[in-house]
Amino acid sequence: MKKSIGIAIILLAIVIATAILSPNFLSAYNLENLLRRTALFGILSIGVGFVILTAGIDLSIGGVVCLAGILTPYLLTQMGWTPTETIGAILLMSLAIGILQGSLVAYGRIQPFLVTLCGLLIFRGVARGITMDQTQGFQGKFAGIRWIGNGRIPLPGVDGFAIPAPVLSLVIIAVLAMVFLNRTVWGRWMKAVGRSPNAARYSGVPVARLQILAYTICSLLAGFGGLLFVCDVGSAQPSDFGNFYELYAIAAAVLGGYRLSGGEGSVVGVVIGAAVMQVLRNAIVLVPWLPDTAEFAVIGLVILIGVLSDELLRRFAASRARTQAKGV
Amino acid sequence: MQRNLATATRMSTAILVVFGFISLTSCGEPAVELSPKQRQAQFVQNYAKNPIVKPRLAFVTNGIADFWVIAQRGAEQAAIDTGATVTVHMPAEGIADQKRILEDLLAQNINAIAVSAIDPANQLDVLDQVATRTLLVTHDSDAPASARLAYVGLDNYDAGRAAGKLVKAALPNGGEIAIFVGRMEQDNARRRRQGLMDEIFDRSRDENRVEDPNQSLTIGKFTVLNTLTDQFDRAKAKANVEDMISANPNLGCVVGLFTYNPVLALEALRSGGKIGQIKVVGFDEAPETLAGIRDGSVQGTVVQDPYNYGYRSMQLLNAVCLGKPDALPKGGFIDIPAVTVTKDNVDAFEADLKKKLAGNKAAANAGNQTGNQAGNQAGNLAK
Repeated sequence: MKKSIGIAIILLAIVIATAILSPNFLSAYNLENLLRRTALFGILSIGVGFVILTAGIDLSIGGVVCLAGILTPYLLTQMGWTPTETIGAILLMSLAIGILQGSLVAYGRIQPFLVTLCGLLIFRGVARGITMDQTQGFQGKFAGIRWIGNGRIPLPGVDGFAIPAPVLSLVIIAVLAMVFLNRTVWGRWMKAVGRSPNAARYSGVPVARLQILAYTICSLLAGFGGLLFVCDVGSAQPSDFGNFYELYAIAAAVLGGYRLSGGEGSVVGVVIGAAVMQVLRNAIVLVPWLPDTAEFAVIGLVILIGVLSDELLRRFAASRARTQAKGV
Repeated sequence: MQRNLATATRMSTAILVVFGFISLTSCGEPAVELSPKQRQAQFVQNYAKNPIVKPRLAFVTNGIADFWVIAQRGAEQAAIDTGATVTVHMPAEGIADQKRILEDLLAQNINAIAVSAIDPANQLDVLDQVATRTLLVTHDSDAPASARLAYVGLDNYDAGRAAGKLVKAALPNGGEIAIFVGRMEQDNARRRRQGLMDEIFDRSRDENRVEDPNQSLTIGKFTVLNTLTDQFDRAKAKANVEDMISANPNLGCVVGLFTYNPVLALEALRSGGKIGQIKVVGFDEAPETLAGIRDGSVQGTVVQDPYNYGYRSMQLLNAVCLGKPDALPKGGFIDIPAVTVTKDNVDAFEADLKKKLAGNKAAANAGNQTGNQAGNQAGNLAK
C-alpha cells in the first residue's frame, strides 16, 4: 500500500486540477465513464503486472485483446454460439495462448520480448484472417452478455450515478491478485523469481512453472479484457482493435510502481496507474485550452514525471535508511 | 605474347559487353526526364497507339472498412464487365502501409492504379513516383496537386453541406454541435467539415475557407464545438463522444464524418441514456446507422457510393488502357454524388445496397482465387 502513495498523490493532483479547469469533470456521467475505462484498462494492466513481476514483458496484449474482441461477436453472430460457449471459448483460447507463450519463454529460453512481439503480430493476423478484415459487431443483439462491458449497477438511494459493470470484474480480479501475491507462497515465489531467478532456482522455487503461470494470467486477463472492451464498444475492426493497448497496460503498471527489472509492484498501484492514464486522456478533451493533439505528449510526460519521482523517493528512502543504520 | 594478346582481347570484349549493357539500359529511359504529368500524358498516348487488352489494374483504399468492401464489389464487378484483372488492396496501418503497397504494385509493373490518398499534401512524392511509372487516378480522397489523370468520387464539400441540412432539420432552433472524425488530415474530412459548417452558418460556397478544428465557433444560433479525432480507434471514438457530452451539457447534435463515427456516437448516447435528447447525423451506411434512422435515433446520413468508386475508377482505367483517352472526364472529375438517407428512403436504399452486394458475390469469390478468371470468362468487352 505504501508504495502506491506516490501515484495516488499524482492521481489526486490531476483530478483536482482537471476539476478546477473543467466544471463538468466531476459530473456523475463523466465519473461513470472514467470508472468504466479505468476498469477496462486496469484489468489488462493487472495482467501484465504479473509478467513484469517475473522480469518478463508481454507485448502480445493488444493482439489478444483484438482476437478476443473480434471473436466474441463473430462466434455469437456468425457461428451462432451461445454466450456461455463463447465466453468459455474466449477464456480457453486466452489460457492456451498464455501457456504457449509462457512455455516458449520458460522452457524454450526465448526472450519474452521476442515471443510476445511475434504473438502480437500473429494474433492480430489470425483475427484479420478469420474475419477477412470485416468489422464484427453484435448487430444490436446480445444485450445480456454485453452487460458485463456496458452495464450499470444502480446504487440504492443514489440517482443519476451507477457503478459501471466492468468495475465489478476489476474489483474481483484485483482482490484475487492481491491475495495471490501477498498471502500465498506462490505469490512470494513469483516476486523472488523477478528479483533473482538463479537464487530462486537454487532455493527450490519452480521458476519455469511460475513464469508460465505469469504469462497465463496475463493472457487470460487480456482475453477477458478484450471481451469486456468489445461488449462496451459494440463492434471491433480486426485491423485496429486493441492497437497499442499493451503499451497502455505496461505504462499503467510502471506508473503503479512495477519495476521492469522485476520483483516489485503492487496491484493497487497498477489500478491507480490505469486511472491516471484515463483521467489524463479525459482531461485533454474536457479542458478547453488543452489541444487534443497534445494527448500523447502529455501522457508521455506524466509517465516520465511519475517514474522519476518514484525513483527519487526510493533513493531518498534508501539513503535515510542508511544514515539511520549508521546512527545506531 | 600470344597469351597477352588473348588476355587483351578478352578484356576488351568484357569492356564492350559492359558498355553495351549500360547503353542498352539507358536506351530504355527517356532522354529527357519528364515530369509526372508529362509521363501520364505519355502513357495515355502510348496506350492509344498500343492498347492493352485485359490490363492489370489495382484499387488501393485508405484503410480497412466495410465501406471498402462495397467498393471492392464494384471494382470486381468492373473486372467482370470489362475483362480487366483487378486486385483490391487495403492498407492496415495507415500511410506507411499504403506507400509500401503502392511500391509493391509498381514493382509488379501494374498497368494502372486507383488510390484514395490518406494525406494528399504529404504524399506527393509517392504519388509522383506512381505517376511516373503507371497510370494514376484518385478515388474517394483526391490529391489535386498530384499528376493523377482524374478523381473519381464525390465532392466532399457538397456532401458536408448535405449533412449540414440534416443538422438544421434536427435542430430547427439552433444549438451546440460536435463533429467527430477518424483523421483530420484527410482531404475528405476537411472538406466535409467545411461544407457542414458553411451550411449550418448559412455561408456562401468558399473552397478556401478553413476553420480551425481546435476552436469552437459560434455564428447566429449555432455553435460548432472543436472537432475530435480518434485515429480509427473505436474505443477512443466512443470515449470522444462521451467526453464531449461531459464537457458540454447543452450538446444538441453530434455529427460523425466517417462510417464508424455515428455508430460509436449511438453507443455512447445509449449507455449514457441520451438517445433522442442528442441528435445524430452521420455519413455512410453502417447497418447500425441505418437501424438508427429507422428507429428515429439518427436524423439521417449522407451516403457515398463506394460501389461506384470501385466500378467507375476501374472502368475508366480499363478504357484508357484500351486506348480510349476520350473516357477521361473534362476537368478531371467524375462526380459520384452523395445521397441523403432519412426515414423516408432508408428501406429503398438498403434494398438497393443488398442487391449490389449480392449481385456479383459468387463471381467475385471465384475471381479472388483465380486472378479473376471468372471476370475474364464473363465477357471481354474489350474491343
